[in-house]
Amino acid sequence: MIEMQDVWKEYENGVTALSGVSVRIPQGSFVYVVGPSGAGKSTFIKLMYRQERPTKGHIFVGGFNIERLRESQIPIMRRHVGVVFQDYKLLQQLTVAENIAFALEVIEASRRTIQKRVQEVLELVGLEDKRNMLPRELSGGEQQRVAIARALVNKPKVVVADEPTGNLDPDNSWAILKLLERVNDRGTTIVMATHNRELVNACKKRVIAIENGRISRDEERGDYGYED
Amino acid sequence: MAMKIRTIGRHGREGFKNLFRNGWMTFAAISAVAVTLLILGASLVLSVNIQSMSLNIENQLQFNAYVSDRVPNKELPKLAHELRSIHGVRTVTFISKAEGLKRMKQILQSNSDLINGLGNPLPNEFVLQVNNPHQIPQIANEVKHVRGIEKVQYGASVVPKLLSVMTIVRDTAIIFIAGLIVMGMFLISNTVKITIFTRRREIEIMKLVGATDGFIRGPFFVEGTLMGIFGALIPSVLLYEGYRWIRHQVALFPPFSLLPTPYVMDRVVLVLLACGLFIGVWGSLVSMRKFLRV
Repeated sequence: MIEMQDVWKEYENGVTALSGVSVRIPQGSFVYVVGPSGAGKSTFIKLMYRQERPTKGHIFVGGFNIERLRESQIPIMRRHVGVVFQDYKLLQQLTVAENIAFALEVIEASRRTIQKRVQEVLELVGLEDKRNMLPRELSGGEQQRVAIARALVNKPKVVVADEPTGNLDPDNSWAILKLLERVNDRGTTIVMATHNRELVNACKKRVIAIENGRISRDEERGDYGYED
Repeated sequence: MAMKIRTIGRHGREGFKNLFRNGWMTFAAISAVAVTLLILGASLVLSVNIQSMSLNIENQLQFNAYVSDRVPNKELPKLAHELRSIHGVRTVTFISKAEGLKRMKQILQSNSDLINGLGNPLPNEFVLQVNNPHQIPQIANEVKHVRGIEKVQYGASVVPKLLSVMTIVRDTAIIFIAGLIVMGMFLISNTVKITIFTRRREIEIMKLVGATDGFIRGPFFVEGTLMGIFGALIPSVLLYEGYRWIRHQVALFPPFSLLPTPYVMDRVVLVLLACGLFIGVWGSLVSMRKFLRV
């Protein structure tokens, strides 16, 4: 479950990214976040995994009170929130399996757990046969699937995806969306910021539109709604 | 949260790999620490030896006062008494002309014919022992003004002079070494910073998947510490071998000798390792403090 209560975010350079956002995203839902560039979409997403701190207001993500979180608690919180980016953020010198295992190694999981979990998520994203390949040997869509596998390997309650299909062609974008839907079917909350009108219109979900730092629209089974 | 042994192993491996990732910076940092500690070590060895010399050479506690030939022999006991009464003088020993000549011949040995035929050119002399070597110049001055004393000589005062020179050398060295230590720390922290910079993507991902700061710091800490230790090992080996060689050379000239190698060098090496460790740990901590706020 994600909840924001009257959240404001003003950056140090004086730019106000969010002005009074309140929203409730129940556990297990799938939400698109849409809106023009620079409208506050990225800030909205970044607040959820404590990349940014709100200037004012309350944020709860999966039982963590984000704005009250102590520095030492941030890593613990992040183990419950998977994050996926437009540019995948994979380590080029590591293989597919190693990239996924990395997320477990740095939280000091046992070798057995790592092996088991890596195998499970590789099966889930359908890349078992490419486990020993390097990221540069994969297509963009495959790389994004590795990134999603890495985000899932900790069994997070929430997955936050910031334009996960931004660099992908329509076929691969569609495959990524289908994968995220499958993850959602297992009870994981998905928050996906996107510019991809086709996906949003074809695969109806709740749509939250952010404009000028405010939620301008919040509809169940909404449309993309912009002509860009 | 207790750190697992496997994690320590991982930090060790990663930290070691980091050393080679920016080989030249690592080389520069290790060299700086090595030069610093070489100078520190050399001055330690020097001062330990000079100190022991000044403690051991009994000579420094005594000096000679030569009696004028005009003073008749029967006056000598009175003179001795007068010298003994000077404040700070512990003992006064009389060496007669004849005795002095005998000693001189002993020293010259086979070359003693050199002074045969000269008669006895030596004066009567008193050897004065004092309580405090630092008072020698002052007491000697007093003795010089005693009637009947022609000349005083305190060649042994080389040691106090050496000591005062050493103090200057030491004070200069301390400032110099302090500067070098700061430079060593600076270079190590810069090297670690560059590693952090080249690996910022990895650090970013580690942060995003929930690695603790302590975990992320591990390899960088190892990297800095290793640089400090390597920087200490090099001068330790050089000084150890160098000292052994010099001591061997010095031993060929009998009156001089340096302190035993293990006695001096075991301590010096320990000091160098401790300093290297300190520089390395400090250098890496300083660089990480600012950089890991992702």
